[in-house]
Amino acid sequence: MSRPRASSLIAALVLAVFLVLPWGLSGYWVRVLSSIFMYAALAQSINFMAGFTGYADFGNVVFFGIGAYTTTLLMTRAEIPFVVAFLAGGCVAALAASVVGVPLLRLRGHYFAIATLGVLEAVREITTNVAFFGGGMGITLPVVAEAPEPFFRLIYYAMLAAVFAYTAIAWWLTRSRFGYALRTIKSDEEAAGVIGIPATRYKVTVWAISAFCTGLVGGLYAYWLKYIEPPFVFDIMISVKAWIMMLLGGAGTLLGPIAGAFLLELLSVTIWGQFLRGHMLILGAVIMLTVLFMPAGFMDLVRQRFSLAAVVANLRRNRI
Amino acid sequence: MDLQSVVNGLLLGGVYGCVGLGFSLVWGVTNVINLAHGAMIMLGAYVAFWAFRGLSLDPFLALPLAVVALGALGYTVQRYLVNFVVRSGVFMTLILTFGLQLMLIDAALFAFTGDYRAVTPSYSGAGVELGTVVVPYVRVAIFVVSLLLTWLLHLFMTRTRTGNAIRATALNKDAAQLVGVNIGRIYAITFALGSGMAGAAGTLLSTLYTITPVMGQPMLGKAFVIACLGGLGTMWGSLIGGLILGLAETVGAGLIGAAFQQAISFGLLVLILVVRPEGIAGKKFFAEVK
Repeated sequence: MSRPRASSLIAALVLAVFLVLPWGLSGYWVRVLSSIFMYAALAQSINFMAGFTGYADFGNVVFFGIGAYTTTLLMTRAEIPFVVAFLAGGCVAALAASVVGVPLLRLRGHYFAIATLGVLEAVREITTNVAFFGGGMGITLPVVAEAPEPFFRLIYYAMLAAVFAYTAIAWWLTRSRFGYALRTIKSDEEAAGVIGIPATRYKVTVWAISAFCTGLVGGLYAYWLKYIEPPFVFDIMISVKAWIMMLLGGAGTLLGPIAGAFLLELLSVTIWGQFLRGHMLILGAVIMLTVLFMPAGFMDLVRQRFSLAAVVANLRRNRI
Repeated sequence: MDLQSVVNGLLLGGVYGCVGLGFSLVWGVTNVINLAHGAMIMLGAYVAFWAFRGLSLDPFLALPLAVVALGALGYTVQRYLVNFVVRSGVFMTLILTFGLQLMLIDAALFAFTGDYRAVTPSYSGAGVELGTVVVPYVRVAIFVVSLLLTWLLHLFMTRTRTGNAIRATALNKDAAQLVGVNIGRIYAITFALGSGMAGAAGTLLSTLYTITPVMGQPMLGKAFVIACLGGLGTMWGSLIGGLILGLAETVGAGLIGAAFQQAISFGLLVLILVVRPEGIAGKKFFAEVK
């Protein structure tokens, strides 16, 4: 950031617009924006791990599910108020990440990615089959006393706050010692070890942070929808969508995940709304075109000023 | 643990070996995780179904047909799509094949509808009783065909020039290029072989399972486990991985309960990844993460 004052001014302006928006928009658009913010927050959490540290946590939605389930169980079984339950959900997710992180973060590349998928499948199946977790029937959350409109505005603001808070964490990662250490791990883990970075401890820490953030959003989602079941909150498609948004925007960039969330979600509501069938065909095509023509993400395309020559050069470079 | 579930597990393991074979080959040689592998298995099953319905061709005779069809698809995909992104990082190819998978499944849904289909040759229910153990003929035939395919692929990889070039590429891409191997072509051939094997696995599975556009998805998960268990890029490793997974699933289902089948196989996966990431029959240099 060469002009910190200008960029913080823009950030404040954007925040102000989003703060006022729910009063001027219809319930439908408040909902769409809340969903965009939710995915932006999830994409940003994945960005900590994948973008900054270079570890592909494809199964990150497991923490989303853990957050949702912890929140729901605490609220229904122990009648704990939402705010406490949802913070606990984040903590349980972070704890889970630090426990599985110690063995799993020894793995690299594809292997780590697949191990996270394995953890996701196992946790989902256990949740489905153990009666305490509500089993395959799912759990219904207590009904709120509030009227629908203020409630949906509350969700909107909570999701918006998550996006801002997580982007602040990403910003901190771009300039703190911890963040530099993570990027060193990403580019060369052996070298990081040589210069004295405790790689395992840092990797586990950043995964716990990412899981905490994901878990909080999961708790919010459960509170928002009022009903959860295993295939719903442990849905790999949530992870995949957040991943695609991060890549679409640009992995390892500050605003990329947010840009990606807006691009993909707006594309989905405006274009796919016209097609009753074939959503997946279009989504698949969008994914493939993204990977082919902007492998470094949308933010990179902006930086190159949408030059066709840069796109062609990219294709040439990445070709075998 | 009774004898019947051991026999069932081993027979199932043979097909699993075939399911993992192409996946492991592509991963081991090109370092591309083909997430469309499950969708390709599904397409192979549909080849068997339409050959059976339209030409009344036996599913085992439709197998070469599926191998050729899927092999051609695989060659095109690698040559004109995946080859353009292989250098842009490991995860880009993963996302690319994920997009391909979505498109293939949705296209199948368009073309074949979501109706449940089945291939029912006259011999499908028949079997032989050996003491207390029932052995269905179809499963034995599938097991034998899987062994045969593994052996053929092994022969191809060790005895032919192209096979040697593929193995050289797997060991060291740059060195292979230095001695004149056309990497782009080898990648495409490898992907074609892997997809062809997926097609073969699909025709074999068509005689056992209901055929739907999403039937390949659980198979993709299993292919992961099998490939990691056995070791990447090795032909016999995939068979070993398949046998272990088949046994673990059937015996585990008997001991803990059928509902935890997925948890068992993925637990096994995480365990093997942590304890022995190169797989049981894995060799050094194959699909190493650099």
